[in-house]
Amino acid sequence: MRIQRWAAGLFVTCYLIWLSVGVVGHALKIGLVNNTLGYFVVWDMFCGWTAYDNRTHIIGEDADGNFYDVREPWGAFTPFGNVARINYDVGNTLIPRHIEHVLSRTSHPPIDRVYVVQEIWPKQFNVPDHLWSRYFHEPKEKVSYFNLRAICRADGMPIEVYPDWFNAQTMQSIADNPRLQNASRQATPYFNTFFNPKTMDSAASFRNASDDDGLSTN
Amino acid sequence: MQTTDTNRFSLFSSVRNFFFAEQSPYAMALVRMFLPAVALVPMIRRFGRVREMYSSDGAPLQLFQIYGEGSPLPELPASFAAALYGLMIFALICGVFGFRTRLALMIGTPLYIYFNLLDCAGTMTKYSVMAAHMLVILSLSHCGSVWSIDAILRRSKEAAAATAIPPRFPVWPARLIQILFCVVYLGAAITKIQTASFFSGEQMKYWMLSNWNYDNPVGEIMATSTPLLLASGYIAVLWEIGFGLLAWRPIGRFFALGMGCAFHFMTWLTLGLYIFPLICISGYLAFLTEQDIVAIRQFVHRLRIPTALLGAPRFAIARLIESRPSAVPVSLAWLGMATLVAVGSAEADYRIDLYGMRANNGPMALKLMDRDVALVMISTPRPLREKDKFFSFDVGNMLVGGQLANRLNVFEPGDTIIAQCNVNPPHEDLWVECFIEDDQERVIDNSGQFVTRDVLFANFTYFAGDRLVPGDYWMVLKSSGKEISRRPFTLAGEPKSLPQAAASELLTN
Repeated sequence: MRIQRWAAGLFVTCYLIWLSVGVVGHALKIGLVNNTLGYFVVWDMFCGWTAYDNRTHIIGEDADGNFYDVREPWGAFTPFGNVARINYDVGNTLIPRHIEHVLSRTSHPPIDRVYVVQEIWPKQFNVPDHLWSRYFHEPKEKVSYFNLRAICRADGMPIEVYPDWFNAQTMQSIADNPRLQNASRQATPYFNTFFNPKTMDSAASFRNASDDDGLSTN
Repeated sequence: MQTTDTNRFSLFSSVRNFFFAEQSPYAMALVRMFLPAVALVPMIRRFGRVREMYSSDGAPLQLFQIYGEGSPLPELPASFAAALYGLMIFALICGVFGFRTRLALMIGTPLYIYFNLLDCAGTMTKYSVMAAHMLVILSLSHCGSVWSIDAILRRSKEAAAATAIPPRFPVWPARLIQILFCVVYLGAAITKIQTASFFSGEQMKYWMLSNWNYDNPVGEIMATSTPLLLASGYIAVLWEIGFGLLAWRPIGRFFALGMGCAFHFMTWLTLGLYIFPLICISGYLAFLTEQDIVAIRQFVHRLRIPTALLGAPRFAIARLIESRPSAVPVSLAWLGMATLVAVGSAEADYRIDLYGMRANNGPMALKLMDRDVALVMISTPRPLREKDKFFSFDVGNMLVGGQLANRLNVFEPGDTIIAQCNVNPPHEDLWVECFIEDDQERVIDNSGQFVTRDVLFANFTYFAGDRLVPGDYWMVLKSSGKEISRRPFTLAGEPKSLPQAAASELLTN
């Protein structure tokens, strides 16, 4: 009985410490909780929502230039509503495996390339028609924007990867500044730690760069 | 010295009493009955997809992969995964009825966590995490000692020696669930405080207009009312912080839990969350004390609600189990049934034939796409329309938290007219202009301002005063020289005449 109580006490203590680490780590943004174990004690249920809705489309192209909708013909699973599971993969970690999974379980001519496309539209167009007319006054003219995210092989291996639409928009808005463009052009580094002049000099003697002590001006 | 020792002893006693005071585990039994039942709803819905989402014959996405930690969990062959999935469902159902409760929860809980970890795209969510916490605590508690098949079997085994006094155990499992909720709400409040534009209602608006959860028609209406969003945001954060302070107060806990139920009910209506509120409200049952249970029982008896019917399935199953051959231990019967369910699940997975390989005598065909549509999708992206950078444009006369709180189209002379545009992030630095045009499209007023990339809305304020004569006008929003939106408004009433002094000054200057 006494051992049981001690074991319970130990469990309670450890559990409370674990919960506390999660809250403190999350509040102070300590990298300690940025892992799978941390996911169980970080309560970031509301971490910000974008102004544009987005969906992922996967398009396969065969040697004859025909395009295929790389979607489960047996029906995509919609885990929390009407949106297919692939769309909940925010970081596109699942895409390569998803492509391989669908292509290897369906019949089709040999696929040369697979395009991963992001579809984007402003969220106000999600408002139902009866609310739209009451709130927005303008005609509801929804336009979707498509952004190529990646080109992959048929086995899902990415060949080319492009920025996410949201990042691209942000980058464009920052880069669209002549002062910054000029500053970045002038900031070509003369000194850096990517190469070592000493190593360059000794390249002819086939010495391994790792033999050096790192950056040296001597 | 003696005083100090007494204080230390007193503090230790308080902590010990808080965690190790003994109570009948009715509250935990209620959690045991409701929580696994709710947690099972999404899992049963995924039964037909075990092959696709949780097996090596599908495309699982382990939570570890999101954090770049590889795929440490084994991905099992489809039949084996289906068998384990069936076992998980069976074990959690046994947990609900309290049949070999600890064994059931000890088997069901790791499997529940395992399958959730295997699919972070379509299964693992924060409600799964909360359910996992509570299932672990339940499996270590004595939640099966009352209101369970185990309790009926034990009583019938003890026969005459059985006592009507319910068993009592340390209360720490209930305390841990209570503390879990306090921490969850505190963490959620911290997240909201750290989220930019939460308190201006912008983030809530976009969340309510997302269709990532189930239908939320109330949320779509609410998204158009900024003051409501602002108030809700503040109330939610205050309640989340206050929950831990009130949860153990005699009266305060009713307020905290009542607000909690209302809050989660609203997340169902406004955000389309179904399972999350039910998981949380199941956990709230851990806050009930022995006295609460007695009070609820008395209240229910007074209403003459036939509560005995609730226990009928439990007693029926217990009678069925008692009719087994006496040589077969109950645990063996449980394992036998579990095996049967596991084999049945594997067979069901085979018969479901998810990929249609047998039904179609081979793999199903991939759907051909219209070439023009495909080319549009993969070609160079078109630039964003100027009007798609704006969420809305409205005219009113009252601000709440910087946001327009009302929409008007009739103003009196002397009113302040506020035109506000909401901008969709991310956007570049914009030059936004607001024009007032009369009913013959003549420009009466024009003002502009920079809307930098960090800004989500911009206001144009006009003091109608004597500057506009009564009549019909248009408020026109332009960005980069393009018209984005226009709103009609009327200036009613009689204009005040100019003061004489002012008029003479005008003449002399």
